[in-house]
Amino acid sequence: MIDVLFFGPVVERTGASLLKVEFRPGMTLGELRDELAAMYPHAFEIVCLAAVDGQHARDFATQLVDGSEVTFMARFSGG
Amino acid sequence: MKDQVRIQQEDFSQDEEIMALKASSMRMGGIATFLGCARDFSEGRSVSRISFDAYGSMALSEMKRIRLDAMERYDLIDARIVHRIATVSAGDNIVFIAAGAEHRAAAFDACRYMIDELKKRVPIWKKEITPEGDAWVSPHP
Repeated sequence: MIDVLFFGPVVERTGASLLKVEFRPGMTLGELRDELAAMYPHAFEIVCLAAVDGQHARDFATQLVDGSEVTFMARFSGG
Repeated sequence: MKDQVRIQQEDFSQDEEIMALKASSMRMGGIATFLGCARDFSEGRSVSRISFDAYGSMALSEMKRIRLDAMERYDLIDARIVHRIATVSAGDNIVFIAAGAEHRAAAFDACRYMIDELKKRVPIWKKEITPEGDAWVSPHP
């Protein structure tokens, strides 16, 4: 299972802060993003950053592993 | 002794943070600080409060990494970063950054580097609460 977390402006658009997605061997970050973007197009309009297990992830070909924690995020505005 | 890098709900004391920074070494000749606070006006609207959301574990680890990057890049003696995650009112403190170095140039440069990197790398989001409604903030350069 993959845990997908949403925060801030994205969670307002998904309506959920956590989604559980069934893991498939070979699944990439990009495939997961595309699946979720199809389900939540309004939320993914503002998604421009991703993280896997708390680390910035810029390569969407990255293969996920079972139990990964993935986050798709809007541009940050802290400080 | 409080951690050098923290996310907390409560307000912080700039004096306490600077005292803690100075206590780390007598070799420190320059300390530069940045204090970010809540404005009461933004994008043409009055702002009554600001709330925050964060990916807490990643935000803290990124803030620690930024401190270490600054320490190495600017040869700092010590540095501190504190960010509040709370609902704050106009004028309240949000973020405090301090850089201590042997000389002022490194302290100034490192302080600027840390707040700029925080804005780019740390997963925190700010929402302005206004009489006309709430709005997530678009990042400023």
